[in-house]
Amino acid sequence: MPVLWIILTMIALGVVGFLVGRKRAMSSVDGDPRHLHSLPNYYGVNVAMMTMVPSLLLLLLWMLVQPMVIERQISGMISDSAVEQGANLSLVMTDVRRVANGLDEVVAQGVMTRPEAREINAEATNVRELLGSVGVALGSDVRPEVLQAAQRYRGLKGKLSVMMAVAVIGLGLVGFAYATYRTTKDFRARNIVEAGMKALLILASTIAILTTLGIVFSMLFETRNFFSQYSWTEFFFGFVWSPNFRGGSELGILPLLWGTLYISFIALLFAVPIGLFAAIYMSEYAGPKMRAIAKPLIEILAGIPTIVYGLFALITVGPMLRDYFAQPLGLGESSASVATAGIVMGIMLIPFVSSLSDDIINAVPQTMRDGSLGLGATKSETIRQVVIPAALPGIVGAILLAASRAIGETMIVVLGAGAAARMSLNPFEAMTTVTVKIVSQLTGDTDFASPETLVAFALGLTLFVITLGLNVFALFIVRKYREQYE
Amino acid sequence: MNDMRMVEREVDTKEVKISARDCQVYYGDNHAIKDVNVDIEDKTVTAFIGPSGCGKSTFLRCLNRMNDTIDICRVEGQIKLDGEDIYDPAVDPVQLRAKVGMVFQKPNPFPKSIYDNIAYGPRIHGLAKNKADLDVIVEKSLRRGAIWDEVKDRLDKPGTGLSGGQQQRLCIARAVATEPEVLLMDEPCSALDPIATAQVEELIDELRGRYSVVIVTHSMQQAARVSQKTAFFHLGNLVEFGETGQIFTNPQDPRTESYITGRIG
Repeated sequence: MPVLWIILTMIALGVVGFLVGRKRAMSSVDGDPRHLHSLPNYYGVNVAMMTMVPSLLLLLLWMLVQPMVIERQISGMISDSAVEQGANLSLVMTDVRRVANGLDEVVAQGVMTRPEAREINAEATNVRELLGSVGVALGSDVRPEVLQAAQRYRGLKGKLSVMMAVAVIGLGLVGFAYATYRTTKDFRARNIVEAGMKALLILASTIAILTTLGIVFSMLFETRNFFSQYSWTEFFFGFVWSPNFRGGSELGILPLLWGTLYISFIALLFAVPIGLFAAIYMSEYAGPKMRAIAKPLIEILAGIPTIVYGLFALITVGPMLRDYFAQPLGLGESSASVATAGIVMGIMLIPFVSSLSDDIINAVPQTMRDGSLGLGATKSETIRQVVIPAALPGIVGAILLAASRAIGETMIVVLGAGAAARMSLNPFEAMTTVTVKIVSQLTGDTDFASPETLVAFALGLTLFVITLGLNVFALFIVRKYREQYE
Repeated sequence: MNDMRMVEREVDTKEVKISARDCQVYYGDNHAIKDVNVDIEDKTVTAFIGPSGCGKSTFLRCLNRMNDTIDICRVEGQIKLDGEDIYDPAVDPVQLRAKVGMVFQKPNPFPKSIYDNIAYGPRIHGLAKNKADLDVIVEKSLRRGAIWDEVKDRLDKPGTGLSGGQQQRLCIARAVATEPEVLLMDEPCSALDPIATAQVEELIDELRGRYSVVIVTHSMQQAARVSQKTAFFHLGNLVEFGETGQIFTNPQDPRTESYITGRIG
């Protein structure tokens, strides 16, 4: 029974449970809901919850555990000699799964009947051809051992699937019966539903946290692999970045880190004053009409995909900077440059800085402004000396958030600043960033065990640590100075 | 209540500091202040009383053009400070506000040190030639605000860290530091406890020696305690204006009488 059908069955059962629960609750008080502890719907939701939640959890758990169990059973069947031929157990297991799925496909397409498929013999039939005919391509001929394992795999899987369906639906029915039995007029269904809601909310936040942890761990493992093949001192303190897939690469992070920080710095230099001034205008000077028009217009900038910014950098800003600044000043010939990427990235960050700062400036109490104006200060004196200092922690937080955005940016850099890892002070020279190099190390035909590829994970983790540090620092600043204006 | 004593309170005839003639204020289409005529004397505490929404705060904010910061607000008529029309286009509202200081309902110290809070106005208006000068101004203002002894050892601490009553006196000291001629107070004690209120009231009485003080208050006892003149506002009209003692003991208008005896408001 396919999983989808099991889920649909459970949902149907849940709906029935809802109706039954509500009905039973109503009939327990002879149709007068005032005598119930909770509203009738709560009883229904309770039954539906009891029916669906445990059984669907079981389904999830089963689907996680089942492949492991099958794998265990099958891998015992494959002899060491077969493993040597296939180089590695996991590769053989992949073959087994592929053959098994292929045979299922053969049956599904009606090329063979189920018993026929079960009786296939590696010597008598060309399994590779047979599977090829239904669209499952195999890398090599199927050895009898693998075919046998595949047949076993199919058998086990079929058996376990039936067991799963029975267990899941059975548990659902038990939950249904139990919840229905408990539905009486004094049963506190409302509290149970409340607890269920709380659990749902906790689950949602846990998933977000666990995902972060998962990302960190997956990077951590690959990074460890990398450092077992490449010295960490050379990685962190190396001044040269020249990966070479034939070996003998120099993988120093410093040029990339320099490019990242340089470009981010220029971006912030551009975005912070403009964004902040725009925010001040919007919140302090602009009338409601102007605000209603200009604010969304500025925020449109935030909705432009970064690749489009990249194009803008490539065809407009880059050549312009080259023709009007770099060449006349004798600073370079390249249109891809740190300045190009930095400025375009700065444009991208303007709405970030401005809309966050705008909210923060608006949150400064009006009494503060009145106090300053009442002392005979002008509007701009008030803003400079009272409003901005009061809003400063929030503004710093906004800037740091923009900074971590800038550090993680990729597309604008690829198109605007090029891909040459270089350490230079000249802003009109092409440089590159950590993110760009992560992409270039992982794209293309690469071997996932070589340091040249694994370095991407070390780079990613370093970047993650930097942006995490920035975010934590931003939060710290905001918290520390927040209580200042109350 | 000690209204009876008020009748005998002596009031010298002093020169008029602010005079308003046919003053009208509109918020959009709403006519908030109607035909107000009032003469506020120098070196006198004048109290504005009246029920909520009667326009007393609005009128107070006209006196230093704080209403200019509200877009939809429109003021008509004539308000003169020392004989000069403050709504004349030639008058700079920023300069005016330096002359007519204001203290607000809620204590609003800036998120700066106590010293910088006081020094804010003098710095903006260039009242001090050097740091020593500024120190003198700060000390003098804090003394006038009757808060010097409490904060003299912590001038570099944030003003927001003081208690509510101290904050309000700090705000008064801050307003005094720019050497205003008139001090406007918009319910300065409504956020304070009775002890802090008593301190602020005492301070107001001292300030009377130098400035013309105008105070808006919801507390009739407070008006009776601190003011020499009282104006009663009702629904945007100035109903009655006169000696505090006379207003509280022998009001001429039935509406005033109803209000002070607690029948309306």
